[in-house]
Amino acid sequence: MRQDNEICIQRIRFFFHFFEKGNWLPSEKPPLDDIIKVKKVSSKAVRNLNKFLTSRLERIATMMELLTEAHDDWAITGKKDYILMETETYDFNDSIKILQEQGFDASEFNLKVEYTRKWGIL
Amino acid sequence: MSYVSTVKKSTIPSGGWSDLWKQEDYWAMWLGLTIVLLAIAFWSNGYNFTNWIVINIPNYSDYSTVLSYLSSHKTTLLTLYLFFLLLFSIAVKALTGEVKLFLVGFTFLFLLSVLVSAWGSWDVMKRYNVETPLLALVVGLVISNLLKIPYWLSTALQTQFYIKLGIVLMGASLPFTLIVRAGSTAFAQATIIAIATFLTIYWTGTRVFALDKRFAATLAAGGSICGVSASIAIGGAVKAEKQHVSIAISLVILWSIIMIFILPLAIKALHIPPGPAGAWIGTSEFADAPGMAAAAAINEQAIKTFTLMKVVGRDIFIGIWCFIMAFISVTRWDKKYSGTKPNALDVWIRFPKFVLGFLVASIIITFLAASANVVTSKAIDNYIINPIIELRNWAFIFTFLSIGLTSRLKELASVGWKPFAAFTAGVLVNIPLGYLLSVVIMGNYWITVK
Repeated sequence: MRQDNEICIQRIRFFFHFFEKGNWLPSEKPPLDDIIKVKKVSSKAVRNLNKFLTSRLERIATMMELLTEAHDDWAITGKKDYILMETETYDFNDSIKILQEQGFDASEFNLKVEYTRKWGIL
Repeated sequence: MSYVSTVKKSTIPSGGWSDLWKQEDYWAMWLGLTIVLLAIAFWSNGYNFTNWIVINIPNYSDYSTVLSYLSSHKTTLLTLYLFFLLLFSIAVKALTGEVKLFLVGFTFLFLLSVLVSAWGSWDVMKRYNVETPLLALVVGLVISNLLKIPYWLSTALQTQFYIKLGIVLMGASLPFTLIVRAGSTAFAQATIIAIATFLTIYWTGTRVFALDKRFAATLAAGGSICGVSASIAIGGAVKAEKQHVSIAISLVILWSIIMIFILPLAIKALHIPPGPAGAWIGTSEFADAPGMAAAAAINEQAIKTFTLMKVVGRDIFIGIWCFIMAFISVTRWDKKYSGTKPNALDVWIRFPKFVLGFLVASIIITFLAASANVVTSKAIDNYIINPIIELRNWAFIFTFLSIGLTSRLKELASVGWKPFAAFTAGVLVNIPLGYLLSVVIMGNYWITVK
């Protein structure tokens, strides 16, 4: 099938959550586990969260820069606990390739792909 | 199918309340319910407007009859045209913004619809069983496959929008109790066929033709669940390639068009009564619009049983299918996208929202009819339901013409033989199984659904 004969629109959505990184390795512990619903929160737990967030936000910012350098048509929305980047004009395989080439793996982002008919298609 | 817009649009953020006025599904619901409420308001205030604007061209053998009928109904035709144009323009303004182009395109589409309706009422067409829906499709196919469709016309060829509006209006002629009662039977029957067809296409695609699992699942969804909507929903859920989704859509459209002609012919040849015939079309057709064309070529009862089977029995469960496939995709196939987990909220996101309009329209009319005495009940039929059915029929004619005018067979057929063969394997299971369940086993039930 020819490229110009494609009859659907692909929307990709990257969710970069601040407090989660998707999958935690067996040796890792989510830093919020020592804070949320804990009766006596320790200062160490807060420092751990600080370390995690500093590193996590830096990596999110780097992923954002990589994607925006590769493609200029992104709708970027800030939410309470995540950044949402979405586009209808860049293929999801290309996006993943760019991130993986720079050492980011699938556990650091949540990717959703949605297709819609081009307007008017049966 | 590859019309080119000169407008370059950048990506806008998705979701939120703006979906209510930025999605075609919601607009079909808003406009359909507006028509239903307008019909009730006119009737309750003693106006006969909805009956006056509908045109029902009588059968004729002499062209002078139809010419004099159209000539004596010029004002009505103009009002009907303006009524649809006004409603559709509001939706188009919110959806694409291309109102000026739509105005020109819709004017052409409306004139062509009048022409096709007049032609379809000719007794020669009736004698040869060329019903208006099939005629509209053929006229559209001939034009689009011989001529290049200009962009201004393509802006008015909104097949999905018209069929969804038609289905919402359809709700006004189906009692809610019937939807609930027949819906569960339809769901059970449709699910058996959908699972058998899905597994056939998926197995043939992956084992016989060595297609990618995601591609095979996208093809299988289109051939079994609910056509194009299922292909794009499952394609997204399993992260299929864009080109693979396009191929699946093309195959659904191609086979749907073939079935529009084959199913009514088979139904007439096998002398299948309209109720079971509509149910069979409901399980065998791949998309709503072509299925409606095939059912409309039979009669009103077939339209009803088709809608119950296709919309209630199949379409509304697309979200659940997506959730299951997304789960299988991330847990069984590969770990490439393991960071993305299926979310139960997606079941609602995938739900076809226009179906809500169909159900609400049915509930409104059911309550209205339940609170009426015999005389009022007859008035509701004459002044509300029947005019809505006529307006719905116009929406269907726009749909059938749009199917033909947007389907370039040469482009649809350029999908490669392997996916075509895998999809065809599903068709060979779907059609006989649908016949067995709808006509042989459940035929006596579907005959009673009117």
